[in-house]
Amino acid sequence: MTVAMNLRVIRVLAFRALNEILRVPGGAIPGVLAPAIFLIGINGVFGQAAELFGGGIDFTNWIIGVSLVQAAGFSGAATGVNLARDIEQGWFDRLLLGPAPRSVLLVGIVGSASLRSLLPSTFVLMVGFAIGVDWPGLDGIALAYVLVMCFAAAAACWGVIMALRFQTQQAAPLMQVVVFASVLFSTAYAPEQLLAGWLAGVADVNPTRYILDGVRQGFVFGVDWPATWHALLAVTGLLLVLGGFALRGMRRLGR
Amino acid sequence: MPHAIEAEGLEREYKGGLKAVDGIDLAVEPGEVYGFLGPNGAGKTTTVRMLVTLLRPTGGVARVAGFDVAREPHEVRRRIGVALQEAALDQLMTGRELMELQATLHGIPAHEVRGRADDLIRRVGLSEAKDRRVQTYSGGMRRRLDLAMALIHRPEVLFLDEPTTGLDPVSRLTLWEEVRRLRDEGTTVFLTTQYLEEADQLADRVAIISSGKIVAEGTPAALKAQVGVPHLDVTFVERDGEPVDFDRAHEVLTNFGDHRPATEGCHVSIALSGGARDVAAVVRALDDAGLTVASLELVQPTLDDVFVEKTGRHLEGADEAAAATPAATADGSPESDAASRAVSAT
Amino acid sequence: MRGHSQGGLLTVSLALARRALRNSFRRPQFLAPLVIFPSMFLAVNVGGLEQATRLPGFDSGGDGMLDFQLAAAITQSILLGGVGAGIAVGLEIQLGFFDRLVAAPIPRTAIVIGRMGATAGLSALQVTWFIAVGLIFGAEIDGGIGGLLVIYLIGITAGIGFGAIGQALALAAKDPSIVQGIFPIVFVILFVSSAFFPRGLLDPPASWVAEYNPLSYIAEGMRNPIIDAVDMTKVLEGLAAAAGTSAVFIGLALLALRGRLREA
Repeated sequence: MTVAMNLRVIRVLAFRALNEILRVPGGAIPGVLAPAIFLIGINGVFGQAAELFGGGIDFTNWIIGVSLVQAAGFSGAATGVNLARDIEQGWFDRLLLGPAPRSVLLVGIVGSASLRSLLPSTFVLMVGFAIGVDWPGLDGIALAYVLVMCFAAAAACWGVIMALRFQTQQAAPLMQVVVFASVLFSTAYAPEQLLAGWLAGVADVNPTRYILDGVRQGFVFGVDWPATWHALLAVTGLLLVLGGFALRGMRRLGR
Repeated sequence: MPHAIEAEGLEREYKGGLKAVDGIDLAVEPGEVYGFLGPNGAGKTTTVRMLVTLLRPTGGVARVAGFDVAREPHEVRRRIGVALQEAALDQLMTGRELMELQATLHGIPAHEVRGRADDLIRRVGLSEAKDRRVQTYSGGMRRRLDLAMALIHRPEVLFLDEPTTGLDPVSRLTLWEEVRRLRDEGTTVFLTTQYLEEADQLADRVAIISSGKIVAEGTPAALKAQVGVPHLDVTFVERDGEPVDFDRAHEVLTNFGDHRPATEGCHVSIALSGGARDVAAVVRALDDAGLTVASLELVQPTLDDVFVEKTGRHLEGADEAAAATPAATADGSPESDAASRAVSAT
Repeated sequence: MRGHSQGGLLTVSLALARRALRNSFRRPQFLAPLVIFPSMFLAVNVGGLEQATRLPGFDSGGDGMLDFQLAAAITQSILLGGVGAGIAVGLEIQLGFFDRLVAAPIPRTAIVIGRMGATAGLSALQVTWFIAVGLIFGAEIDGGIGGLLVIYLIGITAGIGFGAIGQALALAAKDPSIVQGIFPIVFVILFVSSAFFPRGLLDPPASWVAEYNPLSYIAEGMRNPIIDAVDMTKVLEGLAAAAGTSAVFIGLALLALRGRLREA
């Protein structure tokens, strides 16, 4: 198959996933609402904690990054759950029987997660602006979107690995909990210096923390390159490692 | 000309040593409809999944359309069409969208996609429903759509895994007609089924699989001939209050059979050494002997008889085959198992 | 031939409760999130907000964040247990087991009461899990044995009420996915309470809602014996909130059952 044909396959696979959102909007609502609810809830409850942060940081600006990354993570995990459903129902066999290379199928599936993440993240942003989040600047918003889409793809790779390994939707909690934990066990609630020692240690080695820092930059400090490259490196590393394992899983199917 | 499908010593062993497929040899000619008949769990689907590259063989080799399924799976996939048992379709998409998606997955140029999809949708009789979501389709419609999707890239070899399981007799017949049409067009069809009459009706040759091994292979007629000749069951009635003269009946019937007839009530059964063509002569001889016949039933050997002969067990689908008799009779094939019970009354 | 006599309400309810509880343990994929999510939140809240106890007006009875957050984790866990009960009932309706129960010669109310029994048993186990986790990581129950009993009493009563919410929804909606859809709402209701942070430190509108949210009183009722000596006012408020929630939603569940039986 030519490059153009492969691109068409990626496009139709990504749009098939979007089709689900358009035709069963009810199914997408929890995934869209949950991060926004988290934003409003956490902001209302822990808002006073920002007094400890120093430097005049507003808690709403601080926490919106968490909701954005969560939105991306949930989109990715949902892609894994949908793949497990497709495997259970036999639909995935149909994809495997086509001549499209496994890598193209993976890019199509993962790409759909990136696209899907735009919906909840945009909703979170709208809610955020409504409750007082400051405009992060064009560079800040662009960086946030790029990182959100890439993190959704990385989370989707994790979901794909689990879906291929267990081949059942019952593995859904495993897909979701790991993504959820990777977002929360970071500087989600407070800057590193305020975290308990063990949590600071976990956050240090947690790549999602650096991605979160990158998403958060425009909202809290303004975008600067020394902080950005950590985020880009972390998300690229995650994509390469998880994408590699996911591709290996695709290639080993049926063995 | 190479075989369309060939396998030598094909095996699939699972963890724990269970062999779902245990050394299968087969060779399917181009343009042939090859029936793969066996009960649930015999290894039919595992064999198909290996031949269509979804499952790697753990032993032996298999080539489809001239390419090795393990070493050249990509080439195999370009040349095969597959309709798997579950008819897995995205419920949220319409029939036409699914066809177009399948066409794109198979690398069909964009300008051809719509035309091909519409042609095939028309061919399987889904034009009216093509813009409806698949969740509104009946089981038969889903199977037909599945078949159309399998044909979108004009495959050389078509694999149909139990295409009619769970369908009503009418839907089953519609699919059978489509398979016959494909055969007429020269497509090689590998058809797994647990239904006797399906294999009998559609397949040029049949392999019977049991516990992962092929236990018999040949044309349906040849396989049935292996297990014997047709039986004639005759039911007599009294004439003018006179009891049936069974001695006379035995005497007459013995002239037509290899075995002495067995008597049970008013029924007499005989293996007809001359086959179905002797039926008329039997009727005449009984009439000449003054015997009154209530009914005559010619019972052909069935593929189930073949299965029993080879494995000592009945096929699970044997009863369902009998239940499908009216639909099969309508087709009128004298060779069919289902049509083998021709009842006449004097 | 005479049929078997109808089973008594208590016997049948107990049998159904035992069955429901046993099934919960046979579906670990549904059971695990009930403790895993709240445990994760507990860890993150404690680790991330450890310093928050220094905030003026943060009354943690001189204890650390873990002691303060323990009751929130218990409340969150039993709330999820209620959602789980609803999903289980929805699945039973979808798979036809519910019809089998309805067709059996048993008191119909036993169907609801049996499930409540299971939820009560599960709630007790959930409370035990979090108390154990708390004690292992250094929390102390300042109210002693009496305080511990209070935590169980409020936890189990609230658990029955939350289970009744799930049941009422499942019986009215018939579809487990609809019950599953209330998962985010559970979080909202819990967030707009004083479960995670002192009421006085909440920002509006969370602070206004928390004032009237029964979950505030349920969580505070369980928190009081952990961070302080038992204060009867807080405990009774917590118990009243739990009992009130239970009474209202058991009533609604029974009404939904009646509506469903009328449909059948």
